[in-house]
Amino acid sequence: MITLKEALRKSREELDRLRLEIEEKARESNLNAYIDFSKSGDGVPILIKDNIQVKDWTITSGSKILQGYIAPYNATVIENLKANGLSPFGRANMDEFAMGSTTESSYYGVTKNPYGEDRVAGGSSGGSASAVAGGIAICALGSDTGGSIRQPASYCGCVGMKPTYGRVSRYGLASYASSLDQIGPITQNVEDSAILYDIISSYDPKDSTSSNLELIPTAKNLNPDRKLKIAVIDNYIREASSDVQNTYKIAIEALKSEGHTIIHKEMTNTKYDIASYYIIATAEATTNLARYDGIRYGSRVEGDNLQETYLNSRNQFGDEVKRRILLGNFVLSSGFYDAYYLKAQKVRHIIRDEFNKIFKEADLILSPVAPTVAPKIGSFKDPLEMYKSDMFTISINLAGLPAISLPISRDSEGMPIGLQLIGNLFSEQTLFDGAMSLERAVNYI
Amino acid sequence: MTIDNKVLENLEKLSMIKIEEDKKEELTKQLTEILEFVDNLNELDTSNLDSSFSTLAGGTPMREDIPDSNIQISKDILSHAPKMADDFFIVPKIIE
Repeated sequence: MITLKEALRKSREELDRLRLEIEEKARESNLNAYIDFSKSGDGVPILIKDNIQVKDWTITSGSKILQGYIAPYNATVIENLKANGLSPFGRANMDEFAMGSTTESSYYGVTKNPYGEDRVAGGSSGGSASAVAGGIAICALGSDTGGSIRQPASYCGCVGMKPTYGRVSRYGLASYASSLDQIGPITQNVEDSAILYDIISSYDPKDSTSSNLELIPTAKNLNPDRKLKIAVIDNYIREASSDVQNTYKIAIEALKSEGHTIIHKEMTNTKYDIASYYIIATAEATTNLARYDGIRYGSRVEGDNLQETYLNSRNQFGDEVKRRILLGNFVLSSGFYDAYYLKAQKVRHIIRDEFNKIFKEADLILSPVAPTVAPKIGSFKDPLEMYKSDMFTISINLAGLPAISLPISRDSEGMPIGLQLIGNLFSEQTLFDGAMSLERAVNYI
Repeated sequence: MTIDNKVLENLEKLSMIKIEEDKKEELTKQLTEILEFVDNLNELDTSNLDSSFSTLAGGTPMREDIPDSNIQISKDILSHAPKMADDFFIVPKIIE
């Protein structure tokens, strides 16, 4: 598949042909990455996760409860794409309401991994990552609340980037956990990631958490020759599988060969990240998902009275979504609010302070994305086991930092293994520079 | 913390979600396991920390309260709603 950079130079006629080719290939594919082939404009086709509003498209967040909902406006990121020669093309499969790490909770069925169809593509932006890595999309948008861009990108062997919280407008993104959610690019390489990041990032008065710090374009200023100080987290790597550990060694050698300085650090046990994440995310989710009542949008299942209509309609949520709503209401309920929700909010300060301390000495942090390669479909037996697999990605969302996952190597069965670079707040340029240097040095194919 | 059927019943009410009888046992077990895990936060001393958190420096900014409305969006939402008439969503009878 041609890159985004190349596609942006194509003529209208070439893009029309390209769109047809992509659709034909995607329809033949078994990956179940595309939910449909909706089209909005004649520019460079970009696949859109099913939780980002594209005017007049059916947008369902991978859920039964939103069947029949039609987006009444464009998300700000969609307006930004359109203003820069890109056009939404196709909806990408995802875990229901972005709650999951495998795409198995989607109403549309699981998305498969292009490197092994018995393996998950990851989640929640599994459709976006699988399509880009599988050669049936030039690039895609995903959303990342606790790793939902970076983890599927790592499982599938493509590049996934989560911007600093506030850099990209959330207006038009179906809210899961509002203090953690961020839209970001999924691309074939680091340069495309920077190009797409520049396009989607903007200050937006419609998003009260949008940042109005000056935006300096990153793609045209990319410099992989900058020499950086990169921290490696020794205790993190001890918790990962041996394949991921080996990949970490490869990446460290590659970074050294590029002239970067490696420094060694330790961070608090990831179990605290997981705990505070699942308290905060479910608390925010339960509030955000209260709006799905079958009355105003989506699919209604009528009952004898209003309450029955609510209950019947909300019974269309899948098991994982129900579990998180119940859990969220528990941590917010009277008598438990202080011990759970407020405690977790306080722990966010500890997590951020720890990052701040490392960024006093280092420009970037190198970290695993997931503890293993993409698991087999159906292999997570209980929810807690799946939650724990998010161990390396969620602290970044809790602290609001930018991070980029890129493919480094493969295991003996050919499954891709990615690692992530984490930057300080609003240091996307440094993040892309470091990632480009690492990409060049490891030369992943 | 243990989630038993009584706590679950309260959570169902708060969540406007009905859990089927045959799923309750597994669900209470899963929720209990998750809460036992997140209880690990009690190992951390947070006594001097602020319970509000924002990733934005200085917190969420204030803005001028300037009215801004696109009436077409309201019309489109209404026209796509499961049941509507004129400017209203239609719901089952709420007054007996």
